[in-house]
Amino acid sequence: MSMHTSAAAPSFSTARSLRQATDVLFTALDRVGRMIRRFATDAPQPHPPWYWPDYLRALAITGITTAIAFPLSPYFGLVNIVMLYLLATTVGALRLGRGPSVLLATANMLAFDFFFVPPLFSFDVEDTKYLFTLGVMLVVALVIANLMVSIRRHRETADAREQRTAVLYAMSRELAVATDAQAMTAAAVRHICAVFHGTTVVLMADARGRLSPMSTQPAPPSADPTFDLEFAQDVVTRGERSIKDAIYLPLRGVRRVKGVIVVRPQPPTRVLPAEQLNLLDAFAAQLALSLQRARLAEAAEAARISAERALLRNTLLASISHDLRTPLSAIAGAGSLIAQPEYALNVDRRTTLGNLIERKARDMSQLLTNVLELMQMEFGSGTLRTDWHAIDDLVGLALRTNEARLAQWRTVVNLPADLPLILVEATLIVQIFSNLLENAAKYTPPGTTITISATAREKSVLLTVADDGPGLPPGDSERLFEKFQRGRSESNIVGVGLGLAICRAAARLHGGDIRAMDNACGGARFEITLPLEPQVDAPAPELR
Amino acid sequence: MTEAMHLILIFEDDQAIQNVLRMLFEANGFRVVIAETAARGEQDARLHRPDIVVVDLGLPDGDGLNVITAIRAWSPVPIIVLSARTAEAQRLAAFENGADDYVMKPFSAPELLARVRAIVRRHVRGELPMAVLELGDVSIDLGRRVARRRDGSDVRLTPLEHRILETLARHGDRIVTHASLIKEVWGPHRNDSRALRVYIGSLRRKLEVDPSRPRHILTELGVGYRLVIEAEAVGGN
Repeated sequence: MSMHTSAAAPSFSTARSLRQATDVLFTALDRVGRMIRRFATDAPQPHPPWYWPDYLRALAITGITTAIAFPLSPYFGLVNIVMLYLLATTVGALRLGRGPSVLLATANMLAFDFFFVPPLFSFDVEDTKYLFTLGVMLVVALVIANLMVSIRRHRETADAREQRTAVLYAMSRELAVATDAQAMTAAAVRHICAVFHGTTVVLMADARGRLSPMSTQPAPPSADPTFDLEFAQDVVTRGERSIKDAIYLPLRGVRRVKGVIVVRPQPPTRVLPAEQLNLLDAFAAQLALSLQRARLAEAAEAARISAERALLRNTLLASISHDLRTPLSAIAGAGSLIAQPEYALNVDRRTTLGNLIERKARDMSQLLTNVLELMQMEFGSGTLRTDWHAIDDLVGLALRTNEARLAQWRTVVNLPADLPLILVEATLIVQIFSNLLENAAKYTPPGTTITISATAREKSVLLTVADDGPGLPPGDSERLFEKFQRGRSESNIVGVGLGLAICRAAARLHGGDIRAMDNACGGARFEITLPLEPQVDAPAPELR
Repeated sequence: MTEAMHLILIFEDDQAIQNVLRMLFEANGFRVVIAETAARGEQDARLHRPDIVVVDLGLPDGDGLNVITAIRAWSPVPIIVLSARTAEAQRLAAFENGADDYVMKPFSAPELLARVRAIVRRHVRGELPMAVLELGDVSIDLGRRVARRRDGSDVRLTPLEHRILETLARHGDRIVTHASLIKEVWGPHRNDSRALRVYIGSLRRKLEVDPSRPRHILTELGVGYRLVIEAEAVGGN
């Protein structure tokens, strides 16, 4: 009786255990599949949830164990066989996932039952005590498998977290260094591509919310412009991460969505594990934050510039109105003198007055040119209309424009014949020379020698305008380059003191600078440095 | 002398400048017609057949650039632009529309007169291809491609330098724009101003007395180059 009942009971309990095991198996599979993904890009690709080779491996382990144990069973005793199976479960769980481990534990138990527990080659159990053995064996095996898998899972999660922190840290460090939106976007794209191997496009919304791809330089090698613009536009409106043909991540700003990152992982997967999606969200949040920072910095800079400009404009207007009135009153006076027939001016006097009118008018015109030039540099777009120019050509032009003014000064031009061409906006460089020559004429006595020379260095060219006159006024030479500064204050020399300010602005627009100093042997000396552009396929002198 | 015959048509809307120009040219033997608007001036041009036209670019009823184009459509009369517009692009546009010279306001009366005379003289003389070019103490035989200094020493010009000089000479002392100079010397497929700059520099070193103060091969900033054959025509010094 006991025989029959005991036989029925174990089969029932085995079946139940099996069902339980299957339950565990399935729920575990579900979770395991999602959890055991690894973030590290260099790590081996994680297995999808139904990675059937592992189940085959589990069955193979059972098979091998049985094959080893079976011939040994006459000498070994059942206890040791049990131990052998437990050992197999432990070793297997070290490598397999939870599902296969559970399968392994169950299969081992069943194999033990089938091959070793009398009656042999049957799942029936002769002696009830073996039911206990089988039960304990299954439980112990499951516990071991579970522990092994948990340990591994923890290690993997920790690894993944570490990886994720490292990746995010690397990106945020790069974002912190980047100063403009383009560099930031490029950094983000690079990092996302590094993790997900696929292609990434960042779409930025304009003022009206229309998206357009942000050009990133240098473009990632795998740049792939395919994305669903309408869907992306939808993502902007909804402000939520959405997945279609790729993963669309909104870049959330303070008030509105500022753009969308489109990530297409490689190999293409429809479902990404939660951790990876979280990582992508973190990437997007980081980039959005940095873009926000860049925008704020830009706004602050714009505010500073506009305040500076307003100040400059006011000072400029005040000075100009003064400096224009002075020559104007001279002109008006001279004109009214000539116009009076009863004064009967002789030819000499009329000539003097005529010359005076012309000279004053030219001074005013020069002043106007300076002011306009400075306005254009200060308020303009800041882009230069550059072309290649020969330095001697520009020097020659400046000398030609100031020929009349410098009639009583000696000018020496000392330019080596092999000076490289410079990539500049010619009018500005001529203006620099012109202003320096004009200054020399204003602040040195007639007969002074003005020397213009140039030296090419490796990456720049040094231009000098020097004279042997009285030298710079005492004090900080840098102050000469401020606007509305004159070498000698309260002098009757015309000009608002814009000349050197223009020289500096022009030099700096070209990425160079200008400095003033006293010559070793007396006289003033102005040194302009201009960067030399690489002379790519510069024309070689013709051979003959 | 013969200038007594010359009729000058001036497009200028400012009364004061009209007076100055009228005085200047009448005192120097020109007959002067002044048009205040572009429309009026174009009529006057057809009616009077002037020997030279002076155009201000800012006219009340239209851009002077259009006036240049309109006149160029039917007449080769020399056109001088007299304008306060200093931007390179503006000057370049004027030359490309067919202007022969460009004098900037504020202008000096002697300089304007000199430019007008030079252009009229050349126009009357006609643009005969010059066989021998005299630049200072260098004479260049353009046909035989030899250049010699007055003291008998040879000046060696490379073939490209010769071509540039020849092109400049063919235009008399009118400005040749960079683009057309490059096109004529190098052909239509070159667009690099660098070679041109380099060759102009070496030409000056060979031909000018003081290459840093050229008297013959003059740069017109942002527009092109001009070959001045008689050195007297250089600005009002």
